[in-house]
Formats: sequence, structure tokens, C-alpha cells
Amino acid sequence: MYKSYTLAIFYFTLFSFLLLGSGAYLFFLKIGLDIESIHSYYLGNEAAFSLPKSNYGLLEVALPHYGAMGLIIMVTAHFFLFGNRQRKKHFAHIAIALFFAAFFDITSGFMIIKGFSFFVYIKLISFFLLELLGFYLAFMLLRLSYKGL
Amino acid sequence: MKFTLVKDVTKDTLLRPLLSGLLLFILLFLTANIFLKAQQIGLTQETISHTLFGDEENFIAPITNTFLLELIHNDLFFMMMTLLTLSAVYSRLCNKVKVRFVAINLVMISALFSLLFLILAFYFSANFILPYIVAFFLWHTMAYFMALASLLHLYTPKLSH
Repeated sequence: MYKSYTLAIFYFTLFSFLLLGSGAYLFFLKIGLDIESIHSYYLGNEAAFSLPKSNYGLLEVALPHYGAMGLIIMVTAHFFLFGNRQRKKHFAHIAIALFFAAFFDITSGFMIIKGFSFFVYIKLISFFLLELLGFYLAFMLLRLSYKGL
Repeated sequence: MKFTLVKDVTKDTLLRPLLSGLLLFILLFLTANIFLKAQQIGLTQETISHTLFGDEENFIAPITNTFLLELIHNDLFFMMMTLLTLSAVYSRLCNKVKVRFVAINLVMISALFSLLFLILAFYFSANFILPYIVAFFLWHTMAYFMALASLLHLYTPKLSH
């Protein structure tokens, strides 16, 4: 039974890597990885004939992401419950940082369209942080599943 | 995952209905997914080909790569959460080690390959459409098997461990 759980967790980490990778590629394709592209994506661009994003449009994307990101971070991080105090503290900090990064990544869009251009930088930083910490957590879970929980 | 700690899940007054409900919803999800995919991209070689490459005669434009990526991104999330939960429940309830290993490996690998074949079909060759259909139905069949087997073990105390 124990080995079956480890096997399921191993595949879960593979899916996690693919999910993070596809998310990053989608971000690159749809929005872009520079300040100017993010600005144009949310506020529109006359030269490129793109319209600014509406609250409703952002909400359609934000709603599933709020639910999904919260769930995935909790599920991935909860596997580290079985460990010593220092290790648990370390992964607690990673999980908290991930929750914050996810929150700002999703919510920045709303602030950008309201006129707070500073959130373009917050969006980019929180996205990179989310990807980096997400990959780190998935990699550590992969190592854990390989060594055995 | 408290059910990993409860001794006899089949006799627990809370966990038994909870797991039953979860398994029934997983069965509903699998069924709905088949119907949704049939509508979204098709489940036959002809319909998938029209979706991926377009159909001039019927004025159907091919899908864009962002559409495909969003579809895969969405599928990855639901696959990962459903299959992890299902595998955990199945592992807890079913006592045949070899069958468990084969089932979990088969469902996960076929799910991953279904996505891979869809990407390969879109970017490289229509020859990957049939493997996609096979992998798609294989992971659904295995998931149905695991969910139904888990339900059987949940209501047949002698079979579970």
C-alpha cells in the first residue's frame, strides 16, 4: 500500500512539472515576459488592435486559478507533513511564499486595469516567484517520493 | 488523507459515505469528460483531424496553438487531482499489490501519453491521432476500473484490507 502511494505521488510530481511548464509557456505566448507586453495585454494596444481587459474577462480566468492554485499548493506541500520540525518549518515558509506569489500573480491584473501601473512589476515578479518556488517544491517532492516518504 | 490512518474504512460511519460520494463524482467526471472532449475536439479520427487541421469544405478553421495549450493546461490539472485522489483511495481499499501497481502505472502513463499524442498530432503528424484516441479511452477505462473496484471493496468488507 505504502509503495502504491509513493508511485501515485511520483506521477503527481510529473504532472506538476508539466502544469508549471505549460502555465509558463501560456504566459509567454499570451501575455509576454516583459513589462511592455504585460502593459499592452491588460491595457490594450492601439497599434496591435488589442482591446483592454475587462473585469469580467479577468474574473473568468481568476476564478478557476484561485481555486486550483490554492488546492495544488496545499496538496503538494502537505506531503512534507511527515518530517522533522526544521524541515516542516522550511516547507511551511515555501508554501506561504507560494500562496502569496499566487495571490499577487492572479490579483495584479485587476489592479493594473484599475490604473495602478506599478502592479505590472508585481505581476512579473510574482509570476517568476510562483514558477521558481513551484518547480522547487515539485522537485523536492520528487526527491522525497524517490527516497520514500 | 485521513483514510490512510483509519483502520477499517468499510466500517467508519463518516469515511464510507464520503469516499462513496467522492468515487461517484469521479465516475461522473470521467463520463462528462468523454462527452466534453467529443464536443470540444472530437473523439474520432475524422472529427479530431477537422479540429486540429481545419476543414476547407465545411469552412472550419484549425485551432490555434494557444487554444491547444489552454486545453492541455486545463486537462493536466483535472487529471492530476483526480488521478492522485483516485490512486490513493484505490491503494487504500484494494489489497492485490500487483493489480494496484499495474492499474496505477497504466492509468497515469496512458493519461500522460494521451496529452503527448495530441501535441504530436497537432505539431507533427495526423498519424498520432489514433494513438491519442487509444490512450484517451485507455486512461478513462482504467480510471473507471479503479473507481468501481474501490466502490466494490468499500461495500464488501472481506475484500479490503
